[in-house]
Amino acid sequence: MSNEQTYDPVYLHTRREAIVIIGLWLFALLWTVPYCYFNGFHTVSDGGEIETMWGIPSWVFWGIAVPWLVCDVIAIGLCLFFIKQDDLGEAHEGADIAEDQQRLHQAEGRG
Amino acid sequence: MNSLRSVVPILAAEESTAALVTFVVYTLGVFALAAMANRLLKQKSFLSEYFLGSRGLGMWAFALTFAATSASGGSFTGFPAKIYTHGWILALWIASYMVVPICTMGLIGKRVNQVARISGAITMPDVLRDRYESRGLGLLSTILIVFFLVWNLVAQFKAGSEILRTLLADVELFDVATAWTGAQISGWEYFDKVEPSYLLCLMAFGVSVIVYTAYGGFHAVVWTDVMQGVVMVLGVAVMLPLALMQVGGLEKATQEIARMQPPRIGYASMGLEVPVASSQRLRDEWFLAPDESGELTRVCRVSRDVTFEPGERIVENVRFVELTTPEEVERQMEALRTPAAIARMQADLRGVAESQRAWENAEGPVEGEIVTDAQLDALPMAVLNHPDAPVVRVTVDLVREYAYGAGETGGYVSGPAPVPPTLPATADGPLPDESAASVGFLPLGVAISFFFMWAISGSGQPQYMVRLMAFKDSRTLTRAIMTVTVYYSLIYFPLVIIFVCARVLMPGMEGNADAIMPSIAVLLTKNVGAAWLGGLLVAAPFAAVMSTVDSFLLVISSAVVRDIYQRNINPDASERTIKWISYITTFSVGMIALVGAIKPPEFLQDIIVYVGSGLAACFLFPVIAGLYWKRSNLAGCVAGMLGGFAAHLSMHLIGMAVNGRFVNAYRLFGMDPVVIGLFASLVCVLVVTPITPAPNETLVRRYFYRESGQGSV
Repeated sequence: MSNEQTYDPVYLHTRREAIVIIGLWLFALLWTVPYCYFNGFHTVSDGGEIETMWGIPSWVFWGIAVPWLVCDVIAIGLCLFFIKQDDLGEAHEGADIAEDQQRLHQAEGRG
Repeated sequence: MNSLRSVVPILAAEESTAALVTFVVYTLGVFALAAMANRLLKQKSFLSEYFLGSRGLGMWAFALTFAATSASGGSFTGFPAKIYTHGWILALWIASYMVVPICTMGLIGKRVNQVARISGAITMPDVLRDRYESRGLGLLSTILIVFFLVWNLVAQFKAGSEILRTLLADVELFDVATAWTGAQISGWEYFDKVEPSYLLCLMAFGVSVIVYTAYGGFHAVVWTDVMQGVVMVLGVAVMLPLALMQVGGLEKATQEIARMQPPRIGYASMGLEVPVASSQRLRDEWFLAPDESGELTRVCRVSRDVTFEPGERIVENVRFVELTTPEEVERQMEALRTPAAIARMQADLRGVAESQRAWENAEGPVEGEIVTDAQLDALPMAVLNHPDAPVVRVTVDLVREYAYGAGETGGYVSGPAPVPPTLPATADGPLPDESAASVGFLPLGVAISFFFMWAISGSGQPQYMVRLMAFKDSRTLTRAIMTVTVYYSLIYFPLVIIFVCARVLMPGMEGNADAIMPSIAVLLTKNVGAAWLGGLLVAAPFAAVMSTVDSFLLVISSAVVRDIYQRNINPDASERTIKWISYITTFSVGMIALVGAIKPPEFLQDIIVYVGSGLAACFLFPVIAGLYWKRSNLAGCVAGMLGGFAAHLSMHLIGMAVNGRFVNAYRLFGMDPVVIGLFASLVCVLVVTPITPAPNETLVRRYFYRESGQGSV
């Protein structure tokens, strides 16, 4: 067996995926909050009709409903085409407990 | 989240029975699932199965347990109440749910699952302890988790019992059982101020959750979560079309709430001229109050049950809501003149008048007149103090305008939205300070904070992280993310629409907004002649609480069994010992929380707000550093954990000094404490890690490298 080592591919993939996901979160934040703030706050004057789209106030429609759909599509796209189907390995059930036991017994042996 | 303040029976007898049947069938179903799960425990490695389902969750189980755990009782009581109270702005409050599934599951899901497999970790403290090889860190995180979640468990027990009590309020069998419980506990000093109906529900709800969780372990919790997740989405799917249909389309509802002005809220006293002989309960009533010229033109809805006890003539401090939008006032006046409304009121008032006659017969002639049957038959309107049949006289003691948005239209369709006033505890109490509410609902900083709160801090909660350790393979994860993405879109945005419609369909509910979900479920189904469906619909909030409680319970007991007992006290314990300790611990932790919920501390709600975000501030960045940063070390991790804890706590402490209440945390830069806590935690990790020694080489090799040749997939 050689001692040569390479990065664990799961580590590399998940790190890249996490960065892209944070990007998506930022995209949602930057679309939604500023849009709603500039179009949905202090906008309705007394007694006036509110502009709507399919019954939804238009600032909610363009600032929340539409980005919601867009994010859904992107998230599903990421799941289908971007997030890698990595092998997560076998679970070493009880491995850490075995180490604990070993340590304990070593200590006892010494004592 | 919020609990119901007083028991308002919401269902008429027929639906109540349906609710009882639903509850019984539901509970039986849950127990059957627990029994099936228990059989699995006999076949596999006990601890991994009991606390983690042997890391074998398939797509549906994983997706729905994740979704149902995060949808707590709040999603179906507090959230609808907020939509009802503030209007469309709640769409912005909840907006970050568009990225919640991919963030909470995708950010660390695959990696934490893999890392846990490497060391065989089955809890979050396990992961951290193995990753940094430090028993102290394991203990620190265990203590933080137990500290935060136990409080939450008590609150969820309380919420579940309150919901159940609301559902069963009118079932005859339940009344009998309540009376029996009352008789059992009377005389015990400990139960002095505990209501028997609450105690009964707490026992029924609490014990069944504890038993199925303790007996069946993780798989029982997951399978019941799946059932609960299905109940929730079905509830929304049934309510949405009914609400839209009955309101006459969303366009109409939106335009109508755009014209609405916030109501006034206050206290009234209800008085009888002659006392009653037996206890008389009046529920969901309306009354008219005089305007400046003395005419009865102000329409008010009573926000709670009014009960006259034998010999009693006056009930004080009855909260009410006064409608102020002319259109609404007019419509409600008409609604109160319909034969059905009048008939219902006649029945209630006839009961009071009869009881007054019984009192007169027993006690001899009294001053004051008793309303005659003839007067009641001629009652022209369903209001309490109608001059033609003044059975109950109402005096308005205190009226308050909204703290933000009073007298203005448009608040319910734009931001900032109206904020109700805080009433003093009694009508003559000192008026609370309302400066905090004067900016309206959802200022910009808070709107941004909620993007952190739901999507980012959601990733940092140990009860979700532990689910991420349980899925079977990568494909399960990606499919589950897609499923939950669709699932949340089908629940949260439609909920906003449903309860915007509810504002139009059911005016004047601000005084007990927490009951809006069951109330509207009953109204919608009754209007289409399917009252039994109401009983089924109200199971949704109950399911939501149950699925949150069971997973909290398991996270706490796993922390105790695994992290304290097995890893620190007795690593040599046999499988059989561990098994019994797990059963007993889960059961005991549940019982402790249940006993705590019998007389929940008054400041419970404050604590919930605090712990909800506190955990994320402690855990998110230490975990992320451990997973993705080779250089991260023990010192950085501990600093991040304590730094987040301290920053988050200090925002609340400063809030207590400045705003007078622990729960009104100080908003540094207008941000919620969770954002400050997360930021502080991140800074601690980034500053402390590089200036302390690099981690042990073998650890880095173990978690970040693979021997060449075994490389990629």
